[in-house]
Amino acid sequence: MNRRDFLKSALITGAALGLPAGMDPLLTVLKAAERPDLAVVRGTPPAAITRAAIDSLGGMKRFVSRGDVVVVKPNIGWDRTPEYAANTNPEVVGAVVRLCFEAGAKQVKVFDRPVNDPRRTYRQSGIAAAASALGASVLFTDSRKFKDMRINGSSLKSWPLYTEVFEADKVINIPIAKTHGTSKLTLGMKNWMGVMGGWRGRIHQRIDESLVDLATFIKPTLTILDAVRILTDNGPQGGNLADVRRLNMVIAGTDAVAVDAFGATLFGMKPAELGFVRIGHQRRLGSMDLAGMNIRRITL
Amino acid sequence: MQAPDFPARHQSPMLKNIRRLTQAIFLLLFLWLFLSTESRGANELGYPVKIFLDADPLLTLTTILSTRRLDNPFLLALFVLIATVVLGRVFCGWICPLGTLHNMVSSLKRRNVTGKPRNLYLWKYLLLIFLLVSSAFSLQLAGIADPLSLLIRSLTLAVYPLIQYATVSVFDTVYAWNFPVVTDISEFIYDLLKKTFLSFHQPHFQQSVLVGLLFFGILALNLAEKRFWCKYLCPLGALLGLCSRYALLNRSVSESCNGCGSCSEVCPGGALPDSRKNWRKPECLVCMNCDDLCPRNAVRFGFSRKPSGAALDLGKRRVIGSIVAGLVAVPLFKVSPLKKAGAAEPRLIRPPGSLEETEFLKRCIKCGQCIKVCITGGLQPTLLEAGLDGIWSPVLVPRIGYCEYRCTLCGQVCPTGAIRELALEEKAAVRIGTAMIDKGRCLPFAHATPCIVCQEVCPTPQKAIWLEAVRVKNRTGRTMTLRQPHVDLELCVGCGICEAKCPVLGQPAIRATSIGESRSQDNQLLLP
Repeated sequence: MNRRDFLKSALITGAALGLPAGMDPLLTVLKAAERPDLAVVRGTPPAAITRAAIDSLGGMKRFVSRGDVVVVKPNIGWDRTPEYAANTNPEVVGAVVRLCFEAGAKQVKVFDRPVNDPRRTYRQSGIAAAASALGASVLFTDSRKFKDMRINGSSLKSWPLYTEVFEADKVINIPIAKTHGTSKLTLGMKNWMGVMGGWRGRIHQRIDESLVDLATFIKPTLTILDAVRILTDNGPQGGNLADVRRLNMVIAGTDAVAVDAFGATLFGMKPAELGFVRIGHQRRLGSMDLAGMNIRRITL
Repeated sequence: MQAPDFPARHQSPMLKNIRRLTQAIFLLLFLWLFLSTESRGANELGYPVKIFLDADPLLTLTTILSTRRLDNPFLLALFVLIATVVLGRVFCGWICPLGTLHNMVSSLKRRNVTGKPRNLYLWKYLLLIFLLVSSAFSLQLAGIADPLSLLIRSLTLAVYPLIQYATVSVFDTVYAWNFPVVTDISEFIYDLLKKTFLSFHQPHFQQSVLVGLLFFGILALNLAEKRFWCKYLCPLGALLGLCSRYALLNRSVSESCNGCGSCSEVCPGGALPDSRKNWRKPECLVCMNCDDLCPRNAVRFGFSRKPSGAALDLGKRRVIGSIVAGLVAVPLFKVSPLKKAGAAEPRLIRPPGSLEETEFLKRCIKCGQCIKVCITGGLQPTLLEAGLDGIWSPVLVPRIGYCEYRCTLCGQVCPTGAIRELALEEKAAVRIGTAMIDKGRCLPFAHATPCIVCQEVCPTPQKAIWLEAVRVKNRTGRTMTLRQPHVDLELCVGCGICEAKCPVLGQPAIRATSIGESRSQDNQLLLP
């Protein structure tokens, strides 16, 4: 517990002791103020650290209400098994699906528009099996459901995006942390390429601006960065176990820029080295100022 | 006694019903295996999808002749041959799925042609001789005319894509209407169809029209004469006909036959069943229609050693003619410049595990199984890229679909071993070609615009495409740092995903050609 945390909890405790019973709402507000901006949990198994991360943000009930239709968007881009760290860890995805249902979600949809063949990526990643075992609707994307949307960004004016993302009550982004050729790293914001239709490869011509445009247009309720295994080279597809590092870590937060900013540090980079994080910060989509943030670190 | 004017079906056609049921079962089995020749995500299909082709004696025999090896499974085909030697052409009458389709189409035609008997039935034997002779001298053309190979190819390239397109169009239209209940119901049915009958992607093939017209044409011949193909053209039928010459199951006609000719009208093989002396046993499909329908119950099928019917007389000149044609065809096809080292068609990228081209063509029967199973739809039938003898053999066209790095399905479904079945580790090391960059079109090279798609999608563990950071000036004189892609010739496997995903549409800025393919000694670039 650092000084800041200590002061905060001292304040709350003090307030709770000193306040009459009727002032409970104030207490709730203060408790909310105590909530961390980011939760960073290390340990095993992946499902447990995912749960711990979300619990320390206030629990899934804070994000998902009873009867919600929730879209959970992992990275299922590549025909690789989990140990290659090319797709989101299936146990992390499973844990999120379970938490959504526990919070009362009516339906949880899991999908991605992969780069490799969807049948193979859904299966080899282990995500289809893990998520559908817990009751999620694991669906292949349907080409009819990509509709042109007015993004009105600085780089992307309009693009066909997957309508189910926008029809859902809540959207949860679960990317995995990997290296990448143009954006240097692929983290949360880049994961939204998976809901783009059309010839999305063109996005690399102005990758950073475009990613911020996308992330501004699709504001997820929650971003959970899977760093159980990270891919340190030959990303985003990998294929060489020597490039995989096991961190046993999950980072969760509501600020997509902050999650990606923290993701940069996993690779020994400064947040500002990532163009999309820098631009996201400048445009006030979120903050990359990790030093000024309340980061709750837990080790299980 | 007056000539009887019996209604054609005066007694219960029990045998006919049993036969139809058997035919239906085999046709459904065939179609189910066809539909199962598609990935569900695992790297194995889990069904014996090539079992019909394995059981085909013509394909098996010609492959043995052309390769002079016995390394493919041949027991099923041998079983079919033995069954034919004992029972006659039961395969044609009771099992062959193409024969069943012919039966179905010919039911559209009211009556059989009962004109004077033609000698056209000899054609199929002459075709058979041609195919056997040419295959004995290494030219494997049997698959072009073999009924099972023809059927799978036609279903793959024309019929199935056509049905898929039509079905999807209907459901898409209803989906676009967005009527409250109607669309919900149609979407439910669509979902069900997608899980059972429809393929995952709409297949697109270069030769759907040609192969489709041929197939529909062959079916339409039934309207000229019932089972035209089986009577006059089918080389497998000819092979089985020769084997059935001394079959133990024989047809006998009792003295009560008064030659009314009812049997001749219902005979699908054109075996002249009404003529006791000239009955053509090799043409009999053992359908037993004649037994079923004989108004006097004079026909009986039973086992006897006594050969019956007329001898098959092909004519010496005709036989010599087709032998010579089979011999001449071999060098005629082989003088193509495509067979010359260095003159190979650069875009002829064969599936991973394909044998060296000469050996490949000795085995490939153009059945289209690999094309059907290809997960990205990139395997296409050739027209003339592989020579006329290589027509409809598989070629990877990366712009349509790349070779999925960890997929080995094409080798698993190849019935003749033209494409070897590869283990995953082996597949990773097999090169089907090499990609090269067109600097005149590539965005970072020619247009000072960032792009790394080829590098991003490159699947080798250490990427075969590497990026070089360079400082370039754009038109306004602004200096920028770009990453320009390069292909590592040692690492590239030629899968073509870079070409498939290159955002420079039309003519991509990176293209794969067959150079460097592991299977060839000559088509190489690097010093070993």
